[in-house]
This record gives sequence, C-alpha cells and structure tokens, in this order.
Amino acid sequence: MSASAENGAAVAPRTATSVQDAPVRLNVEQASYAYAATGRSAPDFTLGPATFQAQQRELVAILGPNASGKSTLLKLLAGIVKPLSGRIEVDGAEVGTLDLRTRAQKIALVQQESEVLFPLRVWEYVLHGRYPYGRRLRFESDEDCLLAGNALAQVGADALRDRWMDQLSGGEKQRVILARALAQQPSLLLLDEPTQHLDIGGKVELLRRLRRLADESRYTVLVVTHELNLAAEFSDRIVLLHKGKCLRVGAPAEVYDRDLLEEVFEAPLEIEVREGGRPRVILRGNL
Amino acid sequence: MRPLTPKRVFWICSALLGVLFVMVVISLRMGAYPISVRDIVMTLFNGALGRRDRIPSDFWLVVFGLRLPRIALGILVGAALATSGAGFQALLRNPLADPYVLGVASGAALGAMLSLMFAPQVPGAIQAAAFVGAAATTGVVYFLGRRGGQLDSATLLLAGIISASFLSAAIMFLGTTLSGRDQRGMAFWIMGDLSSPPSLNLHWLFLVLIVAVGSIYTTSSDLNLILTGEQEARHLGVNVSRVKLVVYIAASLLTGLAVSVAGAIGYVGLIVPHVIRMIFGTDYRLLIPASAIGGAIAIVFADTLARTVVAPTELPVGAMTALAGAPVFIYLMRRNVR
Amino acid sequence: MLWRRIFAVGIAGALLSSAVPQARAARGAFPQAAASGEAPRVVTDEVGRTVSVPAEVRRIVTLAPNLTEIVYALGLDDRLAGDTNYCDTPPAAKDKPHVGSPVSPSLEAIVALHPDLVLATTSINRRQTVDALARLGIAVYTSDPRTVRGIIVSIARMADLMGAAGRGAALVAQLQARLDALHTRLKDRPTVDVLFVVWEDPLVTIGQNTFIADALRWAGARSVIESKQNYPRVSFEEVVRLEPDYIVLTADHEGAEESEGASLRARPGWSQIRAVEQGHVAVVGSEMDRPSPGLIDAIEQLARELHPDVFGAKTASMSSAAMECACVR
Repeated sequence: MSASAENGAAVAPRTATSVQDAPVRLNVEQASYAYAATGRSAPDFTLGPATFQAQQRELVAILGPNASGKSTLLKLLAGIVKPLSGRIEVDGAEVGTLDLRTRAQKIALVQQESEVLFPLRVWEYVLHGRYPYGRRLRFESDEDCLLAGNALAQVGADALRDRWMDQLSGGEKQRVILARALAQQPSLLLLDEPTQHLDIGGKVELLRRLRRLADESRYTVLVVTHELNLAAEFSDRIVLLHKGKCLRVGAPAEVYDRDLLEEVFEAPLEIEVREGGRPRVILRGNL
Repeated sequence: MRPLTPKRVFWICSALLGVLFVMVVISLRMGAYPISVRDIVMTLFNGALGRRDRIPSDFWLVVFGLRLPRIALGILVGAALATSGAGFQALLRNPLADPYVLGVASGAALGAMLSLMFAPQVPGAIQAAAFVGAAATTGVVYFLGRRGGQLDSATLLLAGIISASFLSAAIMFLGTTLSGRDQRGMAFWIMGDLSSPPSLNLHWLFLVLIVAVGSIYTTSSDLNLILTGEQEARHLGVNVSRVKLVVYIAASLLTGLAVSVAGAIGYVGLIVPHVIRMIFGTDYRLLIPASAIGGAIAIVFADTLARTVVAPTELPVGAMTALAGAPVFIYLMRRNVR
Repeated sequence: MLWRRIFAVGIAGALLSSAVPQARAARGAFPQAAASGEAPRVVTDEVGRTVSVPAEVRRIVTLAPNLTEIVYALGLDDRLAGDTNYCDTPPAAKDKPHVGSPVSPSLEAIVALHPDLVLATTSINRRQTVDALARLGIAVYTSDPRTVRGIIVSIARMADLMGAAGRGAALVAQLQARLDALHTRLKDRPTVDVLFVVWEDPLVTIGQNTFIADALRWAGARSVIESKQNYPRVSFEEVVRLEPDYIVLTADHEGAEESEGASLRARPGWSQIRAVEQGHVAVVGSEMDRPSPGLIDAIEQLARELHPDVFGAKTASMSSAAMECACVR
C-alpha cells in the first residue's frame, strides 16, 4: 500500500476490516455551536449539530465552501471553544474538560504561518512541540531531541535542521510547522486550509505527506479544505458542511453526489469515477 | 541539535558573575580617597571575619560605608532593570519594550516625588511610595491595554506611552510647587542617583529582587513559546493569560524597586537584554539570569564612570547610561533592519 | 575541577555579601580629628537637625561659595580644609582642595579631608548630600538663609561653632551697623518698585520668601512680583502691566553695568518696559545672589543706584571701600 502511495498512483482503498478495527480517535456527537456579534441578539451563525467519527490512520477532510462553518468546527475540535450542545471526545476524553497541557498532548493544530520575533533555529522551533510533556520550566531531554528529530524526518525536513527560521521559504516553513505539531505526538492532527498558498505541486506534495503520516505513522489527520479533488483523492472520509449544517459524512464515493455538490458549491459540476473508486469533480459544459 | 542545558546556563552565568566580580573590584579601587588594592582586600577580608579593630576606621568607612553600599545598590538596580526589560519585551512581543516606555517608571517617580513633598523625613516613605506608584501605573496600563478581554500588545504599548507622558507632565507640574532645595534634590534624583542608600535594609530589597526574578524565570519556557505566537503557544499548552500576568506584575515590581532606590535610570532594560541576545541567543531560560547579571555589570560600570570621569564632582548615573545607551541603541536598530 | 570553581565563586560571593551588612555598622564611626577631651556640643542647625560638633573645630569643609566667603571673612581660612569647585571669592579660595560641585560633591573627597565640621546651605546643597554625610558620622551644619538679618545671625552662629565667637560678634556688629545706617537714611523715602531679574530668557525673578527679596527691602525697594515660589517665571506682559520703576540685574564684574543696560534696551520686548526706556536699569554685583557678608555691599550699592537723591552720584571708589570693610582686620 505504501509503495503505491509513493509513486503517485491512485491510492487503493483499504479493506473495510482494517479500517474498522482501528481505534476511534475522534468522536463528535451532535456537537453544535452558535455565536452572535453582540451578546444579546440572535446568533449570526449556527453550526451543527454535527456527528462523525475519525479512526486512527484516517485522513478526514472537512469539506465545504467559504463560510460553511469549517473553521468553527475546527475550533470546536481543537478545544478553543466549547460546544453549546453535544460532545467532542478525543481518545474517549471530552475535549472541553482537558487541561491545556493534556489537550496539547492529544491535539496538534497546524497553523499556516508563524511569526517568529527573534532569530530561532529550526530545531529549536520544533523542540517547542515537546513543551506539553514534562514540567513547565523544562530543559529538553535526549528523548525530546530524538522525537523532534523524528518529526523532522517524517516531514522530510531533516536537512533544514540548522537553518534559521526567518530564512526558510514558504514551503519549507510549512514543513517545519508541521514537524513541530508532530513533535507533540498527538492523537489528532488538525490542519486549517493548509493548501491555501501553495501551487498545485505543493498541494499534492503536502497531501501525500499527510497521507503517509496517517498510513505509516498512525496519525489521525483532519484537514479543513474546500478543494474537492484533493479531498476526494486523499481522504478516507469526508464531512460535508453547508451553511453550518453537516450534510453528509462518508467515503468520497458516497458523499460526492452531483446534485448535492452542485447545490453546496453553487457551480455546474460533473462527477467522474476513476479506477480505484475515487470520484473526480470537473466543471461541466460551456462557461 | 544542541538544546540548552542547565549546565550551559550555569557556566555562562558563572562566567558573567566572574566579570561582575572583576567590575566590583575595579569599582572598589576607584574613588577620591586614596586606598590601595591591598588595603581594600585586607579591609574586605577582615570585615568578613568581623575583625573590625584591625582596620583603620577611615578605610572601614570608605570601603563599607561608601563604596560597597553603592556598588551593592548598583547591582540591585541593574539586575532589576535588565530583567524587567527582558520580561516586557517578551510580554509585548516588541523588542523596544522597556519599563520606561510603559510608563511604570514614571509612576514610580511620581510616587517618590509625592512622598518627598508630604513626608520627607519619614524613613522608607520614598521607597514605599515609589512602589505604590509603579503598582498603580501597572494596574491602570494593564486595564487600558486590554482589548476584548485580552492583553493586546499594541494597545498596551499605546496605553503605556500615554501614561508615561501624563505622569511626566504631572511630575513637572508638581515640581514647580517644591522649594528650591527639594526641586534640586528631585531633579538630581530623577536622573539616577546611587549615592543615597535606601533606608530599608538592602537584604530585604535583594530578597524582593530574587523573588521577582525567580518568578519570571519560572515562566521562561513559556515565554520562549509565546515569542513565536500567542495562539500557537496556547495550542501547545501554555496558559498565556497567567504567564502574562505573572511577568507583568514581576517586571513592574522590579521597576518600582529600582526607581524607588535610585531614581530613573534609562536604557538598561532595553539595551542589556539585546546585547545578551546577540551574544548568547534568545532562549529565555538563559536570557533571564544572564540579563540580570549583565545589568548589574552595566550599572556598576556606569556608576564607576559617573564617579570618576569629572572627579571630584559626581555625575548622575542615568546620564552615563543615556550617553552610552543611545549610540548602542542606534547600532542595534540598524542591525535589525537588515 | 568544577567543584573547585564553584567553591571559589561561592567564597568570593560570600566575602562580598558578608561585607554588605557591615555597612550599617560603619555609621557614626567617623573619627573626630581632635581628641581634645572636651565633650562635643550638641546644637540644632537651621533646618532642625541635631548636630554634634566637636569642641575644637580645626578642619572645616564648605559646600557652597557663600559659606567659603563667610569663613574667609571670619579670618578662619587657615582652618579651611576644602571647598567646592565654584568657590572663587576671594580668589585664594580657588587654591584650596576641592570636593566637587555644590550640588554633587564627592563624599569620599570630603571624608579624605577629615573635617571636624562641614558647612552646607539650603540655597544650593541637596538634602541627600547632608543626609549621607550625617550617616557617616560627620558633623554637618546646614544654614537656611531667608532674610538678611537671618544671614547675619547665621554668621554669628557659625562663628560660634567654629570657635571664633569674638570675631563673629565683631563682624556681625559691623554689618548690622551698616544696615541700620542704611535704614535710617532710607526711612522716609518712598519704596522703589523693581523687577529683579535672575534670568532673562525665560524671564525668571525672585519670590517673596527669598533673602534677595528681603535684601531689596533693605535697599529701599520692593519686588513687583509677589510669589510664593522661589524663582517664578513671569511673562513680559505681566511686567509691562506692573510697570516697575527699575530693572535690577546682577553682573559678574564691574564695568559691565553700562553694557548690560544698553544691551537690554536693544532686545526686543524689553524696550517696551518703561523702566528700560528711561534707562532705569540698575546693575549690582553678583554678591546680591549670595547670602554672605558681601550681600551688604550689594545692598548698599543698589540703594545708591535706586535713591540717587539720598546718596549723591555713585563713585567707583566708594564701592571698593565698602568691599574692604567686609573683612575683619
């Protein structure tokens, strides 16, 4: 399976049994959220209720157009905000009840940018990911260095180890940020629109890397995106959001229904099914 | 990959302490009263052993009554200001942050001035009032610096600048009501004066210094993370609000301490942490203790110059730090704009 | 190896830190220059401090130019161990060992001179300097000159402290006699309204509670500005409104009088003032700024300028003769 993933051919869907045996890392049950601009008025935006699960070694895409509530859902998953109703559990523990350090040990949120104020080396930056483990005032142990080194290797950024953070290119920096998240040894890896500033080559490379991390390193990866084809190509499960509602959850082939997608994305679409069962979305007809 | 180890922190701090020791010895040697190094060492030695009768009372007076207290005060003030500067820079994520920019020092100075006006003879009043001034300014600026319930760096800086201007104006206004003698005393003190030992025992003040510096040190791992982004630090498990509060209170305490005993000595909180960063890196687990010792070295050096450059007249030490600090500051600024 | 270094650092630190508490014990340890056997006198100085002055005062340090002048006027200059950088009256004072500036003298330099008594004044010295010297056990007497009579009494007290009561009494009597004579002559004359200029730009004058204001009264004049502040700033408009009869300036040297008056007329704004227009600009010596015996000379000089009808034309010889009288033969 890993060999086919490396040479870029379509990833074969794993057998149903191997996926179902994997432990459930994330369990979202009827989670909902709402916020308003001011405290008193009616909510400007409501999300949910949403229900879905993510297992170990799965890559889940949270898919939807702009303003569909993807970022809000991500905040709920990361524990930044508490759900108004329902539960969000990671490894069986409710996210809202976890203290900050434990939460950081379980969930790693990968941001797009990092503003580093004073000169910092890449390995120092990645070592920060070990912060949730050990005492508050801590000096890194050999194990920490080992894990940070592994994280860098997992993203293919080993050669960048001694470089200065402010001298990295955009793609290199993103890999380093990802490495820091991996150093946290999280159960759950959350990424918010990571392909936004990348060109097509960069997008593919990133998704492939995430796929590898899920398959080989047993991470559970959740990617918030609006890229239909990337989601279809690389994810095991898709959570489709539209205007705050969780419309459908399932494998890409199940979720990608032409009428549904046209309604959600408000564009004329055509769905093709390629070999391997994964759908591909193209624009239909003359524009 | 060579992460910072406690051993490295220890060695660098020991080396800096060595430099401080040398600076102290040089400073002990300098002064209008002619006393040789040998006599100084003998006086120190006998003093440590309690054998006071073995030393001419003049030597005793000069070493223990004049020079050493002044040096000790310089160490206290330098360490306090440098550490508070490093703290504020992390807190505000701004390399130009310093107790003066935040108006905390002006608040302390105003407190001291009010105590001079209303209770000049009460021992310890000036220190207590400066503390209160610093703490009150801290509270006000902290309150003004919030946006949406969170401490916002840019708003905080603005609040600090406004407070500093307001307090300086208040000081000037009140200054006109003082008698000539007190105006003179205030004007000199405002520029930084290490020659009047505080009426509170130095031991207590050093204790406060150690407690405050220690508090900031416990957050140094957190500060390292906060410097790469507050949100990210939060996601890594740092209790950002709590860390900010601890650092802000401790740094303000240190500023109040320094201003209350020696007036307004500028640039130390700004320059020393930057120089330490340039030499030893930005890791706060080393930066905090190194800045403290570095600040002590800087002030002892500046004060020695202030005492000897136009001897026998003594310049205010704040003048020396400003004279040296401004060019260093410009150099740092230009380096940053690479 | 590591442990030896820690040990060395620790020893050094302990040595230094154990030395600090001894500083407290250093207070009051200052040795008196003369162990004359007599008990020291305890007096209260002019700012309310209790000072313990040794019975025999053989070494004196002054912290201000006016105090140096007083010491010379009392003929005690052989006992003057040190003065400030700015003490230049009389010129011989410049050759004495210096302790620094009056505002910021070197405490060590003072200690090195082993003074029995240090003289300070509220008009230029800082409270902190006096406190620091007192903490070291050095006797410091602070004078607080507010009125001319107060200055004279102060001279007598200081003379007494320094063991020259006789000379002090003689000097005081002489000064007092001159003042009384002046008072008699000016008794029935109308007071002249003056503006005493301390600094021209910004325009600073003296307040009611200064000795200079009192000196003006002795010279038959009155400052048009009434202020509680010692050195208030005033605006030109205020001065024009109050219409003083005379402008009084101080000059550092004789012969400056003519040029000062003329240059003032040439300055913008000043010429609007009636007194300047009429040439009523009186220039007195800088003794007017100093609470010392020379102040009486300055008062007499000013009186002659302001009341020419009483004294007749002023002559240079008269003023120098007056200067000589300030010293006790």
